[in-house]
Amino acid sequence: MTARPQRRRTAPGSPGFLRRSQSRWSERAVRVLLVAAALVSVLTTIGIVVALIPPAVEFFGKVDFGAFITGTDWSPLFEPPRFGVLPLVTATLVITVIALLVAVPLGLGAAVYLSEYAGHRVRGVFKPVLEVLAGIPTVVYGFFALRAITPFLQRSWPGGDPPEVFNALSAGFVMGIMIIPTIASLAEDSMAAVPRPLRDGAYALGSSRMQVSTRVVFPAALSGIVAAVVLGISRAIGETMIVAIAAGGRPNLTLNPLEGMQTMTAFIAAAGIGDLPTGSTGYQTIFAVGLLLFALTLVMNLISIRLVRRYREVYE
Amino acid sequence: MNPPSRHGPGGTPPPLPAHLAAPPPSETVFEVGGLSVFYGGHEAVRDVNMNIGARQITAMIGPSGCGKSTVLRCFNRMNDLLPDARVVGKVRYHNEDLYSREVDPIEVRRRIGMVFQKPNPFPKSVYDNIAYGPRVGGFRGNLDDLVEETLTHAALWDEVKDKLRTSALALSGGQQQRLCIARTIAVEPEVILMDEPCSSLDPIATAKIEDLMERLAQQFTIVVVTHNMQQAARVSERTAFFGSEIDRDGVRHGRLIELDETGTLFSNPSDHRTEDYISGRFG
Ligand SMILES: Nc1ncnc2c1ncn2[C@@H]1O[C@H](COP(=O)(O)OP(=O)(O)OP(=O)(O)O)[C@@H](O)[C@H]1O
Ligand SMILES: [Mg+2]
Repeated sequence: MTARPQRRRTAPGSPGFLRRSQSRWSERAVRVLLVAAALVSVLTTIGIVVALIPPAVEFFGKVDFGAFITGTDWSPLFEPPRFGVLPLVTATLVITVIALLVAVPLGLGAAVYLSEYAGHRVRGVFKPVLEVLAGIPTVVYGFFALRAITPFLQRSWPGGDPPEVFNALSAGFVMGIMIIPTIASLAEDSMAAVPRPLRDGAYALGSSRMQVSTRVVFPAALSGIVAAVVLGISRAIGETMIVAIAAGGRPNLTLNPLEGMQTMTAFIAAAGIGDLPTGSTGYQTIFAVGLLLFALTLVMNLISIRLVRRYREVYE
Repeated sequence: MNPPSRHGPGGTPPPLPAHLAAPPPSETVFEVGGLSVFYGGHEAVRDVNMNIGARQITAMIGPSGCGKSTVLRCFNRMNDLLPDARVVGKVRYHNEDLYSREVDPIEVRRRIGMVFQKPNPFPKSVYDNIAYGPRVGGFRGNLDDLVEETLTHAALWDEVKDKLRTSALALSGGQQQRLCIARTIAVEPEVILMDEPCSSLDPIATAKIEDLMERLAQQFTIVVVTHNMQQAARVSERTAFFGSEIDRDGVRHGRLIELDETGTLFSNPSDHRTEDYISGRFG
């Protein structure tokens, strides 16, 4: 046997023999790169918020904040302008709720099915299909809502007034379809990560598959599931194209999903691509609504974090 | 402390305790005939024939990979949950074919509980761990009473009565394992299967579980897989020794080599492989 060539070593006992023998430049460089990568996303987020603030502050110098939040009339670009943002907020909420009514049951149902019921082969087909669904451009969904869903609803409406050409129902429904893959895929990941011995323990006590899914796997995966739903909500609140196309551009304070309505995002898009002079009140309106949108999403995320802390079951 | 071993360390075993010398109880719970289990195309264990008697402890020992866990999982159809496992042969439970089409595996598992190698309490409170089985089984009585009775029965009540609402994961490993046993008896099974229940525990926690097993054996039928031969000797009435064989085609598969009263199996095994194994000479 020949001796394996050894890295040269300082003899034990000589001064500093345990010190690093090579400078670890590559190690350090990789570290710097990784930190930089993490910082980019954080700094961009902060930058966006900071950029929103000055025009929004100017806006609230001219428009009373209370009147903005509680006002029911939104016509900022007409004379005389009115800055009651409630119609936009309710529109966003109505459409988001419709989307969630579609996406949460179907998305979580799909996740439970894929994680607890489906065999290898079915899962191997379903997951890629879901991911393709997630990759369809939202403008396609928007036209699908306007050109397929709405006409279908109008034709087959059972009684009473049918939906308007632009309406919240189609937009919300299609938006729900759009976010199913997001919710299903993330929720499935977190359910699949629940350790097998927990399931075995539950089965050994005489649980049905459904009981294992709902009483053991679901609670153990709750934090991931809530994260999936929150991401779905965030996408719904922030979604622009579908609502701009299918729900129309008319600020409308109503909870009736059969009417057209303008969401916060749809307003920002419409006003943003218009030719509002920089520094005008109309221009600043965009930033005020943008800031409100951001605050809404933030509050929702905070609530969900608290919910998760309270209800999740942590497995090691 | 550990209960004294029935064998001196390495010496000749002392005369048999009375209950080991007694003939096996006549009531048979399981009758296994021609049982083979395949994982995909691989035959993990071949042609097992054995009976398991009521209200006694049967130990299963043998080297790693010879199919002890596989056979154990046949008794409550846990192998159903492994997509590529296939069970051939007969497993009769009180003369009923466990694998017949009309048998509901959920009903089977309510009567035949299982405790696993690594304690696996649910990440729920101590109370909810015990209440889980009764709840999914549609229990209608007073859960509080049931939880207290069960924990008392499992000799765990005094240790956890002030922690009923805290997470079971905050208990020590030994307490977690006894909680898992308690959770199993809360559904009032007839049989408890245990797969190396003490392998992750220290000797004191192990002794507590052995005590518990011996007490539970007055009421339940227990089948326990163990790598600890002293444990098998201490707690069991009957012991099954599993080993590996290589057939003419060179395929390695698990076999039941010998099943006998524990005292006989350890002091006077009829197969030389059993003797080699228990005296520490392998292969
Ligand atoms: N889920 C499985 N899929 C495929 N093969 C398996 C599976 N479980 C066990 N086996 C194989 O079956 C054989 C018997 O395994 P088993 O776990 O029953 O042995 P064991 O006697 O319990 O071993 P140990 O003492 O190490 O627990 C082994 O060859 C093992 O690789
Ligand atoms: Mg095993």
